[in-house]
Amino acid sequence: MIQNYLILSIILFCLGILGVITRRNVFTVFMSIELMLNAANLAFLAFSRLHESMDGHVLAMMVMAVAAAEAALALAVVILLHKHKGKLDTNLFSLLKG
Amino acid sequence: MEHTSTYIGLTPLFPLLGALVLGLMHMLTCTKTRLPEKLYGVLACVGPLLSFFLALVIFYHLKGLPTEERFLSHNAFTWFAVGDLHVNMGFLADPLSSLMLLFVTFIGSLIHIYSIGYMAGDKNFGKFFAYLNLFLGSMLILVLGSGPIVMFVGWEGVGLCSYLLISFYSEDTDNVLAGNKAFIVNRIGDLGFVLGMSFLFWAIGTNGFDYLSLKVNAHNLTPAIGITVCLLLFIGACGKSAQIPLYVWLPDAMAGPTPVSALIHAATMVTAGVYMVARFSFLYTHFPLAGSVVAWIGILTALLAATFGMFQKDIKKILAYSTVSQLGYMFAAVGIAAYSAGIFHVFTHAFFKALLFLGAGSVIYALHHQQDIWQMGGLKDKMPTTYKTMVIGALALSGAPLFSGFFSKDEILFSALASGHSGIWIIGVLVAGMTAYYTFRMIFLVFHGEPRDKDLYEHAKDAPPLMTIPLIILAVGAAFAGVLNLPAIFGGSLTISHWLAPSLVEHHPHVSIWIEILAIVTSVAAFAIGITIAYKKFAHGAEEPVYTGLGKFGYNKFYVDEIYNAVFVQPYKAVGAVISKFLEPNVTDIHVKLSSWLYQKAGKAFKVFQVGYIRVYAIYMVIGLSLMSLFLSHSIN
Amino acid sequence: MFVDGLFTAFSVLAVLGALGLILFRHPMQGAMSLIVTIISLAGLYALLSAELIFVLQLIVYAGAIMSLILFIIMFLNIQTKDLPEEPARFYYFIGGIILLVPVASFLLKIVQSLPDAETTIVGNGFGGVKEVGMILFQDWLLPFEIVSILLLVALVGSVVLAGSKRRLSK
Repeated sequence: MIQNYLILSIILFCLGILGVITRRNVFTVFMSIELMLNAANLAFLAFSRLHESMDGHVLAMMVMAVAAAEAALALAVVILLHKHKGKLDTNLFSLLKG
Repeated sequence: MEHTSTYIGLTPLFPLLGALVLGLMHMLTCTKTRLPEKLYGVLACVGPLLSFFLALVIFYHLKGLPTEERFLSHNAFTWFAVGDLHVNMGFLADPLSSLMLLFVTFIGSLIHIYSIGYMAGDKNFGKFFAYLNLFLGSMLILVLGSGPIVMFVGWEGVGLCSYLLISFYSEDTDNVLAGNKAFIVNRIGDLGFVLGMSFLFWAIGTNGFDYLSLKVNAHNLTPAIGITVCLLLFIGACGKSAQIPLYVWLPDAMAGPTPVSALIHAATMVTAGVYMVARFSFLYTHFPLAGSVVAWIGILTALLAATFGMFQKDIKKILAYSTVSQLGYMFAAVGIAAYSAGIFHVFTHAFFKALLFLGAGSVIYALHHQQDIWQMGGLKDKMPTTYKTMVIGALALSGAPLFSGFFSKDEILFSALASGHSGIWIIGVLVAGMTAYYTFRMIFLVFHGEPRDKDLYEHAKDAPPLMTIPLIILAVGAAFAGVLNLPAIFGGSLTISHWLAPSLVEHHPHVSIWIEILAIVTSVAAFAIGITIAYKKFAHGAEEPVYTGLGKFGYNKFYVDEIYNAVFVQPYKAVGAVISKFLEPNVTDIHVKLSSWLYQKAGKAFKVFQVGYIRVYAIYMVIGLSLMSLFLSHSIN
Repeated sequence: MFVDGLFTAFSVLAVLGALGLILFRHPMQGAMSLIVTIISLAGLYALLSAELIFVLQLIVYAGAIMSLILFIIMFLNIQTKDLPEEPARFYYFIGGIILLVPVASFLLKIVQSLPDAETTIVGNGFGGVKEVGMILFQDWLLPFEIVSILLLVALVGSVVLAGSKRRLSK
């Protein structure tokens, strides 16, 4: 049943959000974002199957490409942060405090 | 025909161009080496002289036309068009404006020449002539404008120049204050003028807003609106021509250089009000009530100013009050619908008053800016040319028989008597006597008797020819200008009155010759009495009296300035102070302050949310998402 | 029946992996859990007749991206003492779940209003390399090119960011 796939995608997406907003570990936050992207991909493919059209597949490929680019950049940033502070705590970086 | 029409547009253009060129030259060089004065002087005189030449051409062209067709018009360009209303920068030359044009450019040119001598050595020589040219250009626009709007352009232009020139010696605060006073008082008058113009437009202006169309439509005015328009326009005239209650600025305006007093505050600008009333003669004839108001205010101004004039000690102030007084005569004339008499007096007055001012200027020039007549005396041997010309001017002013002022003043008094305004006539005769008295008081004190200040007396001498030649020319005019309008009783044919007839709406009363003789005899008698008293009191030396009682009251000008100050200026300042101290900070500014205070406080309060942790910002985002979902899931049910 | 069993197994594994990701303290354990999720998702993609994406998920995601992440984690040599203390983690979880309930219920409401379909395998090469490729290079050519530029920029950017040792040392 297609709806079950969509419900699973919702559950994974919400878990991804939960990871982003609760954890202070940079890696975990980053991987939660990857999880959210995967949930979106699942929804794309489910809808693609529902309508029997392959545009969803193409979009999923695009998402993967974006995820790859994001991974490359985000990891570079993580390395820089680690070099500066030696820690992985997001709360160490609070330059935007008003 | 075509060419002559174009000349009308060019006439104001020359002085305006001159003003532009001179002003730029002065502006660009005033901080560096100054250009030679001769260059400025020549350039400054070119514009007025060209305009005078064109005025002559226009005059003779009009003269060659049949009486009923004597008007030329020229539309330079459409100034603005709103809906069906097209306001053209149009110029109109008819007998009235061509006469004004002629003597304005003539006297203007003479005074430009005189000023070259008088202003020599002044560090703002170029600026002075730029202003003077600008004034002449504005005055010509005023005179030649084909409708009230164009006239208003000139009207404001001359007001501006008057302000600039009164406060010309701007190092002295008093002069600047005098300029401000003139400007502010004129604004009050201008408000009346603008309101009058607006009413007129509202009532009958939609079918064309120039004099010719207005004249055709004038009969559509209801009496109430007509009288309102007339009185409002007269308020404008009061401001410009220094009538009660707005006359106070003119005596103070003498702070400017003397040629300015001669040109602007005696000969030309101050007569603009009279000219305007004559222009609107079709309205004032229609509503005699408004006319009588004008006439009475005029003659009362004449009386009041003459009273003040009898007690002044500053030579220029005496002349200033006499100007106010003569302007009062003119308004009395136009008020009783004797327009040609009023304009004729404008014409002769321009000559003899400009002459007197320029003569006074020579005296002041010779005495190193001493203006107090109680410090002068016996100058007739030292300054013969000035003395002779000024005596001619004084005789003309006080109405000595056969001088120009005699004919014009007599014409006014005769018209008053003939049209049944005997009250105005009686006051008029009285004022004529007073005029003779204070004019010759001045002449005797300045030129006769013993010198009171030996030191100044020794160094006094006649001015250079550049200054005396205009004096002589004007003296000839002052003596003989009356010939142009000789009444029938002296064998003339009222040439100017007939010339002006197509422009004006007036009726010449036909009365018996005895009334005319009565008028002449009384005014000659008034002149004789006035001059005799002056001769007795002042001709053989007199000391400055200490005024008491009524004299003191008159010497202090009835305390009018002080009363105005107490009644209008001080309350106005008090209101201003209250507003600036209490109303502005506590009422009008309060919301500005309140909102800035609010933003500050709000900023401080909301700062709490800016914790700086990225995770918390994500939480905010999710909160928003959550609220949005709540709202949406409600609405999609 | 067999397909339903597979779906149930994969989805339970995926959810467990996701929970592991957000609950484990050490990122290495989290990354391992995420790999479980990604592989189960690959199985689900296969059930949805998406052959190409199934393969790409395994190669690109599980193979390339996750091994990159693991590599970096190991490269930085993260010890437990380097990890941030998160004493209030569970309060955050509870708060986050409360916040997400409306979002989830809203999305569920929408999903339930959609038409449903069986998930039998579609024939005719649906989701195959050739078919997806045809669509990709015909209808989606411009976005595809743009994505390639995006990847290039990301490449350059990561080199600049991570490889700027000399500038930092100055």
